[in-house]
Amino acid sequence: MADMRTLLIVDDHAGFRSWAREVLAHEGFDVVGEAGDGTTAIRLAEELHPEVVLLDIQLPDLDGFAVAQQITAGPTGHAETATEVVLTSGRAPEDYGRRIAASTHRFLRKDDLSGATLEAVLEPRR
Amino acid sequence: MTGRRWVALGVVLLGLTWGLGGEAVSIGHHVEENHFLDALTGLSFFVGGAIAIDRRPGNLLGPLMVLNGVAWFCGNWTNIPNGWTLPFLHLGQAAATGLLAHLVMAYPRGRLTTGYERSVLAAAYAIPIAATAMSVLTQDLSRCPACASSPPVYPDFPDADLSHRFYLVYDRSAFVLVPLFFIALWWRWRRSSPAARRALAPLWVVAAIMVTVYSLSPFTSTSASSFAYLVWEINALLQTAVPVIFVYGLLSTRLVQSAIGGLVVDLQAPIVPGHLRTLLARTLADPTVELAYPIGDDRWVDPDGRLVEPDGSGPLRRTTMVERDGLLLAALVHDAALDPDLVRAAAAAAGMALDNERLHAELRAQLEEVRASRERIVLAGDAERRRVERNLHDGAQQRLLALSLALHSARRQLGNGEQDQVVNTLERSGQELAAAIEELRELARGIHPSVLTDAGLGPAVEALARRASVPVAVEIEERRFAATTEATAYFVVSEALANVTRHAEATRASVVARCLGPILRVEVGDDGRGGADPARGSGLAGLEDRVAAIGGTLAVHSARGTGTLIRVDLPCEAVP
Repeated sequence: MADMRTLLIVDDHAGFRSWAREVLAHEGFDVVGEAGDGTTAIRLAEELHPEVVLLDIQLPDLDGFAVAQQITAGPTGHAETATEVVLTSGRAPEDYGRRIAASTHRFLRKDDLSGATLEAVLEPRR
Repeated sequence: MTGRRWVALGVVLLGLTWGLGGEAVSIGHHVEENHFLDALTGLSFFVGGAIAIDRRPGNLLGPLMVLNGVAWFCGNWTNIPNGWTLPFLHLGQAAATGLLAHLVMAYPRGRLTTGYERSVLAAAYAIPIAATAMSVLTQDLSRCPACASSPPVYPDFPDADLSHRFYLVYDRSAFVLVPLFFIALWWRWRRSSPAARRALAPLWVVAAIMVTVYSLSPFTSTSASSFAYLVWEINALLQTAVPVIFVYGLLSTRLVQSAIGGLVVDLQAPIVPGHLRTLLARTLADPTVELAYPIGDDRWVDPDGRLVEPDGSGPLRRTTMVERDGLLLAALVHDAALDPDLVRAAAAAAGMALDNERLHAELRAQLEEVRASRERIVLAGDAERRRVERNLHDGAQQRLLALSLALHSARRQLGNGEQDQVVNTLERSGQELAAAIEELRELARGIHPSVLTDAGLGPAVEALARRASVPVAVEIEERRFAATTEATAYFVVSEALANVTRHAEATRASVVARCLGPILRVEVGDDGRGGADPARGSGLAGLEDRVAAIGGTLAVHSARGTGTLIRVDLPCEAVP
């Protein structure tokens, strides 16, 4: 499976994280790491250069929007491995008001999550 | 001895030195006059000034009398010829007219009140001083030391006639100034209330003396052999009376009475809040007067019911406590220089009005407290809604979302024929579902426990105690109370036990609830480290509002190291 996209899962709920890994690992993604808070997420994104970060907006330490900003502006820099962030939440997108509309990142509701839906919101590969 | 008394003593010593020295100069230069009488008159101003400074600090009349004494003896010192101080002594002597006018016009409060008075006074100072300055500049006073009126002009002064004409203007100005001065006095009389007029009475004696003195002035002479010399002596003696009368007037209770009389009249009219302060400020002639009313617990409010800290500390401020029948009515913060008799008299006169305004301020403070508490209750309600929303999202919903992913996995595994994994996945799903159900149950209990509605306070608190982190001894009367009372008591116990778990580091706790007549007293105690402060923890503050809302009280006893005891008294009507 050489062309599977690498994925970092960021969510403070361990149960959700492990089920998301279970589902996505079987449905076309190479899950390279998990993070339970924003600080760890930023560090792992730099270390692992994942192609996709599935990022929960509601994190215990930092705000998800700010974490997304940091990850995409980070020194990862390699054009072929530019990180794409997909925001996710148990809440509906309209619950985040204008912030979600102003964000350049895709959004996927947690209850819609599967390998196919995640693939659908991502930029087509190359 | 107070600092003021030292100042007064210093003034007397200065007067003796300045006055007796001046007389010695006059005697040494063979000036013919009654030196005893001259000294007596001048010194009477110093002594009067010293008494006024001591007894009526802050009143300008004391310093004015002293300056009058200084000016009085300037004339004696001008007998020394060729001194460099000569021009200043002449100018000092010239200031005497203005100083005396100032003294009369400022009596008794030490302040001028109208622009007209200020204009007349400015003229009374300026004209003699300007004329004298002209003499000092143009005439060789050393050749005729004691007379500034017609000494020889400097030989090289270009216009010898100018000086003389200037002197004539000065001489004639008295004909205008004196009537203007009396108009000022008369006008003041017209504007005064009957009580204030009584206080002004000494002024008429002084005015009469001054009229007499000025009328007699042309007929006086210092040559000891003539009748005119007797007139001079009478004149001097009359002026001695001026400081005596002023001091008498300043110290007499009439001054207080007149001020209080005005206040009593003003108090007859209905008083809007805040106006009483204005009236007292006017009566005491102190615009900085502040009023504060006690509302218990050592707290004070201003007339509008806002919390204040009456600050009478500092050298310039003083606080006078106003009491009536042993009840503390108000604190009056004022200028430390005010006459304490006057402050006390004004406070006594305003007693009823102060009591009214205190009740009014107390009511306003209570209304403000109710408003603030209502706002806190709404805020607490909003915060509670946010907490419930967050709990739902972070707890049960996360579990359900995980469950949804698990079922998604199971479907795939079934499709792939991974039988064993399906069983495992479904097992984990069941656990996730059970946890979600438990979290929802916990959340619902936090919103309102059904055991409270169904079984009452005792069983509900026992359920709380079973879930607490330390052993809790529960002792609660077996009966039902009004639903609001039970709910309030329950949430106090719940929050208190949660605090025990969170902060107290306790090994055990207790909950006791019993009826004391119409009151349900609930006490939650622990043996932890104490130091709880309801002002800091929002949880306890919110409960305090909730307790107050149904007419109860909440007290926290939590000295550091002695554990915490929370006591709530709630009104209770037993429900059959």
